[in-house]
Amino acid sequence: MRPPERIAITAAGVVTPIGQDVEAFWSSLVTGTSGVSPIERFPVADLRVGRGGEIKKLTRIKAWNRVPECRATRLLISAADELVGQAGLRPLPMDPARVAVVVGTALGGVEEGEKALGGDRARRRLRDALYDAPAHHLARWLGATGAAITVSTACASGATALALGADLLRHGEADAVVAGGYDILCRFVMRGFDALRSLTRDVVRPFDRRRSGLLLGEAAALVLLLRERDAGPARLGTLLGYGSASDAVHIAAPDPAGHGLARAIRAALDQAGIAPADLDFVSAHGTGTPVNDRVETAALKRALGARAHEIPMNSIKPSMGHTMGAAATLEALMCLLASRHGLIPPTLHLEEPDPDCDLDYVPGSVRAARPRISLSTSLGFGGCNAALVLEGAT
Amino acid sequence: MRAPALRALGLLSGAGPSGPEVDARPVLSLGRPPHRDDHRRRATRECLLALAAVEAMLEDGKAGPATIAGERTALLYATAAAYAASNRGFIEGSSGGIHFAYTAPAVVPAEVAIEFGLTGPYTIVLGGPPATLRAIWQAAAWLDAGVCDRALVLAVEIFEECADLYARAPRLTARPLVEAAGCLWLERGRGRLALDTRRGGEPRGRPEEDGAMFGCGPIAALDRWRRGPAPGPLELSGAWRGETARLVWYEDS
Repeated sequence: MRPPERIAITAAGVVTPIGQDVEAFWSSLVTGTSGVSPIERFPVADLRVGRGGEIKKLTRIKAWNRVPECRATRLLISAADELVGQAGLRPLPMDPARVAVVVGTALGGVEEGEKALGGDRARRRLRDALYDAPAHHLARWLGATGAAITVSTACASGATALALGADLLRHGEADAVVAGGYDILCRFVMRGFDALRSLTRDVVRPFDRRRSGLLLGEAAALVLLLRERDAGPARLGTLLGYGSASDAVHIAAPDPAGHGLARAIRAALDQAGIAPADLDFVSAHGTGTPVNDRVETAALKRALGARAHEIPMNSIKPSMGHTMGAAATLEALMCLLASRHGLIPPTLHLEEPDPDCDLDYVPGSVRAARPRISLSTSLGFGGCNAALVLEGAT
Repeated sequence: MRAPALRALGLLSGAGPSGPEVDARPVLSLGRPPHRDDHRRRATRECLLALAAVEAMLEDGKAGPATIAGERTALLYATAAAYAASNRGFIEGSSGGIHFAYTAPAVVPAEVAIEFGLTGPYTIVLGGPPATLRAIWQAAAWLDAGVCDRALVLAVEIFEECADLYARAPRLTARPLVEAAGCLWLERGRGRLALDTRRGGEPRGRPEEDGAMFGCGPIAALDRWRRGPAPGPLELSGAWRGETARLVWYEDS
């Protein structure tokens, strides 16, 4: 299979619990700053765990004129505000009909549904409760009139969005795509993961033998995708490949053998036209649940063979919790920033390695290395597995 | 882009074979298909309808489940609101972790993947008719690129559990709301496919003929077309939240 056209990633915008722009996000990752705190925005007293990566105050935008109250929408637009500034997209320098929006989410505007069912009879609440509402609000805010697409492959959504955005460009359906992912912390999702007993009372410790679960976080992350031939030399990096595969094993747990994730990784490498030996770095999904980290380690070994033991890999979820729909986009961005800065952020709180997780997870502190080609992996409910292959602009 | 060929189509519609009744009830329901085994006892109505749609597609294609199993089959799922019932159940109820899992849109195709052993590429697009047209387009892109040998485009919409909520916002959707589940079996074709999507402007194409079927509308339109194909290329169109999409399918031209 001939590798498809390379897609340039030319700008980014983020809002996260550890920083409300790309520079602050990166700085917090390399200094090991934690964005996890007691949740204040909604009641959690009845839950086993009431902590998460909550953004206490959105600071980037001061006036929310004509932007709905929906928090998911506001996170997205906060990230878009940085992106627009970086990329010079205000006003759009091209035909708005040629600008598409593709965003991934696990939850969409579900909190608006909670409010509507809680007695708020505003019609807007119902409209915004549908998962695709924030994407349409973002498109309107950007002034983009091309396709506005919402994908929801659970916690792999942020990777799926980048891949679909790349396909729009390759097939000439758009000339620019604002792509990424988002999700918010709300009572709905906290109750759900609490009921699943997936949340830890400890810190998140990916690949540590004492790991006992994940914490959730909220974030939005967007990138601007352009065809390589349309992009100038200034860029964050390039999207080389994408792969996805279904586990077909269980609705809420990953395939214990990791076959699905291994298939997704191989598909992404195939599309990128590279071999495991070409990989310099892996951004792992690394949720810190006992099952995920074991499965992911097995899948990486299966897909990459002996090379898996030679490549540094990390998980940034201890810093801000699992940001669900935003996670894969944030992690892809982290790969590109690692390449730019010549540093790999550490996997926080990994102190006592699990014998079943025997790869190089960059424990302790930041590592000086300049990965050129990175792999980013994601897993989600429903047996969703996705992998991205990225090249940093060194 | 090269158009896919339609190998088979399965469609279940609350409107029945002759379309919605004129004196329409607000929701034309499909009810709950019976579950066939203990494994499915917790599965939600939208999941069971998805399974039934795939079975109907296999019957239409005169094929057994083994034909579609494996990693060379892609699964693409589109819905606007099929998750709303599960979300409501979880928000209002005291249900636990397993029910929470069913609130994820990804779980509908997951049940299909588990039942039929589909381990290939997948995607899930949320929205009304444009989302389903996007899923068909993406299936065509994957088939064209050799990512898969066949692609199933699945759509499910249910309304009964949230009928009172839809009634609170009557101007948002056409009436009646027609529950439906449909699945397309696409393979590599020889024609051409073009998708035009944009926000704003006047909706194009024919008005809804089946009530509001949200994401299942294009599958119902395709089903009508194949029962009495008109000359010229097939055009599927739909509007949703200010966005209009038109897919022109020059099949085997």
